[in-house]
Amino acid sequence: MNEAIDNLRAMLLIRAFEDCLAARKDHGFQLLSSGEEAVSVGLASALNEHDQLLTGGRSIGPALARGVKPERLMAELLARTGGVNRGRAGRGHFSDIDAGFFGAHAVVAGNITIAAGVALGRKLENHPGIVAILFGDGASAAGALYETLNIAALWKLPLLFVCNNNQLSVSTAREASNAAENISDIGGVFGMWTKSVDGLDLPAVSETARTAADYVRAGNGPAFIEFSSIRLRSHSTTARETRKRDELAALRLKCPIEREIRRLQDAGLLGQAQTEALRDEATQRAETAMQFADASPYPDPSEVLEHVV
Amino acid sequence: MSSEPAQQETKPLRLFFREAVARAVREEMARDPKVLLMGQDVGSFGGSYREFDGVYGEFGPDRVRDTPVAEPASVGIAAGVAAAGFRPLTVITYMDFLMLGFDALINYAAKLRYKSAGKLTAPMVVKTTAGAQGQGVAHSQCIEAWLISVPGLAVVAPSTPADAYGLMKSALRHDGPVVYMDHKKLFPTPGNLDREEHVVPFGKAAIRQEGTDVTLTCHSYMVRVALQAAEALAEEGISVEVIDLRSLAPLDIDTLVASVEKTGKLLTLEEGQVTCGVGVEVATRIFEAVGYRPWKRLGALPAPVSSNPVLEAECIPDAEQVIESIRVLVRG
Amino acid sequence: MFYQLTVPAAVPGVEEIRILEWHGEPGEAFESGDLIVELETHKAVVEVRAGQAGVLREIKAEEGDWAEIGVVLAMFADSADEAAPDGTAGDLTVEFEVT
Repeated sequence: MNEAIDNLRAMLLIRAFEDCLAARKDHGFQLLSSGEEAVSVGLASALNEHDQLLTGGRSIGPALARGVKPERLMAELLARTGGVNRGRAGRGHFSDIDAGFFGAHAVVAGNITIAAGVALGRKLENHPGIVAILFGDGASAAGALYETLNIAALWKLPLLFVCNNNQLSVSTAREASNAAENISDIGGVFGMWTKSVDGLDLPAVSETARTAADYVRAGNGPAFIEFSSIRLRSHSTTARETRKRDELAALRLKCPIEREIRRLQDAGLLGQAQTEALRDEATQRAETAMQFADASPYPDPSEVLEHVV
Repeated sequence: MSSEPAQQETKPLRLFFREAVARAVREEMARDPKVLLMGQDVGSFGGSYREFDGVYGEFGPDRVRDTPVAEPASVGIAAGVAAAGFRPLTVITYMDFLMLGFDALINYAAKLRYKSAGKLTAPMVVKTTAGAQGQGVAHSQCIEAWLISVPGLAVVAPSTPADAYGLMKSALRHDGPVVYMDHKKLFPTPGNLDREEHVVPFGKAAIRQEGTDVTLTCHSYMVRVALQAAEALAEEGISVEVIDLRSLAPLDIDTLVASVEKTGKLLTLEEGQVTCGVGVEVATRIFEAVGYRPWKRLGALPAPVSSNPVLEAECIPDAEQVIESIRVLVRG
Repeated sequence: MFYQLTVPAAVPGVEEIRILEWHGEPGEAFESGDLIVELETHKAVVEVRAGQAGVLREIKAEEGDWAEIGVVLAMFADSADEAAPDGTAGDLTVEFEVT
């Protein structure tokens, strides 16, 4: 029960946080994840304090779900020294390993090879944690993924491949970018445990992620899961929307957050007043994060040559 | 198990290049359990050039890993395991293939310290082999000049077994990514090493021959070409100071500047392209310090390096060209 | 007659080899085709075999020693007891195989 409310709280935070960020004129170049909150939160619910998560450039939702502090993240995204990396990494490249977020690397599929290296380190150390790598359907067409699947399987790395299939690679439809029937089928070729599930269904995401993480944690080698989600915003804050208004309106009806609220309310686990309170709380936390970021200074220009070598 | 034959203590320690590399790798793997070795054919096969003879037997399959033909993943996994606290040495058979690993090396490893504000680093070594030896347009290139422009990346290029040993040791202790490049034509060459364990620090050039008339900078196999030319020029009464850069990033500016202040003239020599080449950087950095001096640059012609022996030889600088360039520089 | 065995230019680019193993001692007779010595390059082993019959009279380089192309490694003679000549000897006919 509490876990269900916590997960809803986490999804609402991601939505409110990104809305708050997007409302800023100086928000910079961002890749947002509205419509994909259940993937981030469901996956994070299957990871523990020993685990590390790596992502591509669509990193904000996963990082918040993993427990990166909203204040520090907002400051990072707005280039302030209060950010998790003093504001010098930004959305595409921030990391917070103490929170179990090993980092974003915004070169599509390049990040997957890095994650396998972190997983190799875990294996060599007999570390109790596993590594999860979250990537989009766009990355499912890239060579680095296939090389890494092969080596991860050969070496039995404790690596969980997670594809957040939001159906679009910028403007290219998933059907036009990958010939496999299900993206998770790719993992099957290498003998992995695989599953494709509805990424808008939070309980299904959580359960699948947990099963897969347990499989990897047990030393069976890598697993590959695919969550089909939706993208409610354009690719990035600077990319034009390629879909029609009615198409987007239909997608909004599938919102994973509203779906989870309905499910909890229907089951009698959540009341209307509590729902509104949770929404307000999320908005409040996002605004607090924004206040923290605004109060944090930009770096001094002289910092440009620090930490290079 | 040792890859080196027993040698009498009274004689100098003389080793092939590959044995010097193996000695450095084995010592560092014994010294630091975080050092790993990975790449194509590095396991029981002992490396394409036998440069890891005995390493697999001594350190086992966890720390010595054969990788499939997958350069992007090999470099990426090395970068990731380095970020996670290890010190991988990953082997890319030919420098041309390193292009496949640029994302992880340049976009991730070289920037990790910066982007994490010093919290994370990627102490990794990419060992690769450059140079023309009849293998054609995609197995012959020297692309070190591309790499020295990457902030956060160190690049070293030994010309002797002693420096191969000493630079490899430094590379495996460096707290960031390093590209260590060998040259195929140097492998047949043995050389003497100190018996005592030692390192060759980054950023230290070696004056291979002192001279007063002209400074000749070079690295890797071109050091041998330079010394050959310098010997011939000495007979004409031209005194050449031959400087082996050894470390291309960082450069040993002090040694370069002191030499050109003394000789007043500069020839830069490299096997790669001269356009945006190592020589351009060397000359610019020197002239920024001492003002402009007469300078010529020698390198590959602006053409691919063919496996055709006639075309290959025409493309790559040789001692005759060095001699001619220096004559012009010195005598006008 | 006396003959000298020198380091052959067996592998392109190789200027110097290391003596890996002798397959005989002074006084030992060799038939054509017998293995005399193995030489080590950076990546290969060069098996040097007698191209003519003879007696190994003197070994001039020990196992582990380095020698450049053309350096004399050993002296051979037609017989075990003939006296060494004052001048230089001719080259021993050899065959070699690179493995």
